[in-house]
Amino acid sequence: MSERGDIVLSARGVVKRFRSGDGELEILHGIDLDLRAGERLALMGPSGAGKSTLLHVLGLLERPTHGTVDLDGRDAWSLSTQERAHLRNHHIGFVFQFYHLLPELDAVENVMLPAMIAQSRGDFREDRHAHIAKALELLSNFGLAHRLHHRPAQLSGGERQRVALARALFLDPPLLIADEPTGNLDRDTGELVLELLFRAQQERNLSLLLVTHDERLAERCGRVLRLEAGRIVGALPGRG
Amino acid sequence: MYRIFLSWRFLRSRRTNLIGVFGIFLAVGALILILSIMTGFLEETRRSARGSLSDLIITMPPYSESRRPRDPAPVLEVLRRDERVEGASAHLGWMCILTRQDERSLRILVDSQSSEIAGIKLTGIDPATEDNATEFRPSLDKVGRNDDGEIVAPRLRVANLDDPFAAPPDYDASVGRPRASVIVGEKVMTYHGLRRGSFITLMTAVPDPASDTGWSAKKREFVVAGCFRSGENEIDLERVYIDRGQLARFLAGVSEDDPVPEDSILYSEVLVKLKDYARDADDVRASIGASLYRSGLIDESCSIRTWEEFRGALLGAIENERVLMGIMLSLILVVAGFTIFAILSMMVTEKRRDIGILTALGATPRGVLVLFLLIGFWDALIGALSGALVGTWMAIKIDPFERWLSGTFGVQIFNREVYLFDSIPSVVTPIAVAAIVIGAFVCTLVFAAIPAWRAASLDPVEALRNE
Repeated sequence: MSERGDIVLSARGVVKRFRSGDGELEILHGIDLDLRAGERLALMGPSGAGKSTLLHVLGLLERPTHGTVDLDGRDAWSLSTQERAHLRNHHIGFVFQFYHLLPELDAVENVMLPAMIAQSRGDFREDRHAHIAKALELLSNFGLAHRLHHRPAQLSGGERQRVALARALFLDPPLLIADEPTGNLDRDTGELVLELLFRAQQERNLSLLLVTHDERLAERCGRVLRLEAGRIVGALPGRG
Repeated sequence: MYRIFLSWRFLRSRRTNLIGVFGIFLAVGALILILSIMTGFLEETRRSARGSLSDLIITMPPYSESRRPRDPAPVLEVLRRDERVEGASAHLGWMCILTRQDERSLRILVDSQSSEIAGIKLTGIDPATEDNATEFRPSLDKVGRNDDGEIVAPRLRVANLDDPFAAPPDYDASVGRPRASVIVGEKVMTYHGLRRGSFITLMTAVPDPASDTGWSAKKREFVVAGCFRSGENEIDLERVYIDRGQLARFLAGVSEDDPVPEDSILYSEVLVKLKDYARDADDVRASIGASLYRSGLIDESCSIRTWEEFRGALLGAIENERVLMGIMLSLILVVAGFTIFAILSMMVTEKRRDIGILTALGATPRGVLVLFLLIGFWDALIGALSGALVGTWMAIKIDPFERWLSGTFGVQIFNREVYLFDSIPSVVTPIAVAAIVIGAFVCTLVFAAIPAWRAASLDPVEALRNE
């Protein structure tokens, strides 16, 4: 377990350009960013500022044109596809605005999905009972004990997001990336999900990278970065 | 672990996959069924063609200038001495016209459009030595089936199997009545409306240097001793067996009880049956041909051929048909492959977001590729195995199945009269079944590989944006 203050995620000079028509469009103009263990960092900015792109680069889903992203002390984008997939699997938990659960799987199976991807068939079978117990515990903690074997289509938005949160936490990753986690929920439901998110973050001493439009939500984070037109224009300490 | 688990879930959650599975099922089942029947046809045809033709046929035109012995005994002796030879028998063949004393004979003679009957191939044989060389004897007690496929009580086709040319038991062979008997093909029997004990008149021409035209006509009345069934349409329609000595007397124009004149024609071909045709045919043909030629028993006008050379065109045609059928039916497999391709492509498009989620959670592109390939694999597994089972089962049970179909819908699907097979021949070869199943797998996986590769090369970010 990292000490509080250790750097979990570090980005240096991240530039991202997209091909657009004849020319190229630069979305990120050299972003430097550090995220410490146990830190809550909110990323704010208007639409089109490059928040999502930055999130994808930091989440190892999109390769930067220039710059490095160090995760777990390794330059993630110089690794092989396999190794990078392994990093995503073990070191990052994603929570998306639209939950992104697999519709064919029930709540428990969705939560166990990271372990299914991580393990071979034999290993998973061996650990199956432990995995199920862990999934049940997570879901019960999130108040979903009565929804274990419902499919996403049978769950409300808030319930889905709680399942997604349980999935993100399943392999105990040190880094949690949340992209507008309450953007699709009403105020009360969103509040409940946030409570759970922050509580889990605190209990597990996770680093949280939160993208949001919501000023009040950002205020509850330890640090707020403002992104405008692909540049970080201001860093504010939050209340959290 | 997620690949197998998810591929199975995806498969079950999309009913459209059943279309692909059904396509493979249909293609594999049809291929196995049709190819089994074609193989059966081929084998049955080979068998029936072989039954009447023997392994090797030495054709020896009787009117050559050479000084070959008139009697077949020396040739037969050389052949029987060879330990690879099972048996040998001399035949004398002669074309005739068959008539009898009723109107039907006239109708047959004036029917220029008939494809049913031409001349009669009168074949003189030695019943005693025939057993080892041809399937003459089995053809005398081969059972038949009626139109409903039921076995007609196996009745003896001749009165006495050991003396097939004996006249019917109650036959009154008094003076003035025919004393030589013939065994006619089953179809000759029905076509001319004959029974055991009926009389027929056979007419033909023989070379006669004394005559103006060089030929003189011969005719004689015979009694029908029975019939045979070779299983080959042409033979059962045209062949009439007679004792070789009686044929020689008929052609020489001497009475049935007189000795055969010395200068008469005694044989025109010698049929040889080998102990192991597949192994020895070519060797025996070469070595026997050489030794017969050295001893002056055959000359340039003679030929030694295997039975397959006689039926080459027919066997080749059926084999050809079988290959063509295989190719055409393989197209169903390709169509089934296209269906799998279309369904999987649809699925990849539909599942873009899920592919993105899996990638975000740590799946590699290769994992995604395998996941979608596995869906194709399950399609192939279910479709090919059930197709193989049902196809094999139907190929084995084709006869009762055909009878049930015919009975239920009142349409005759397999005409036993046309093919002269008592049942629909069908031979299931395990190697062919295995090849078809493997072919189905390869075809499906090749077609599944394209959408699977597309799924693997999806940009996860693009896929996740897809809301």
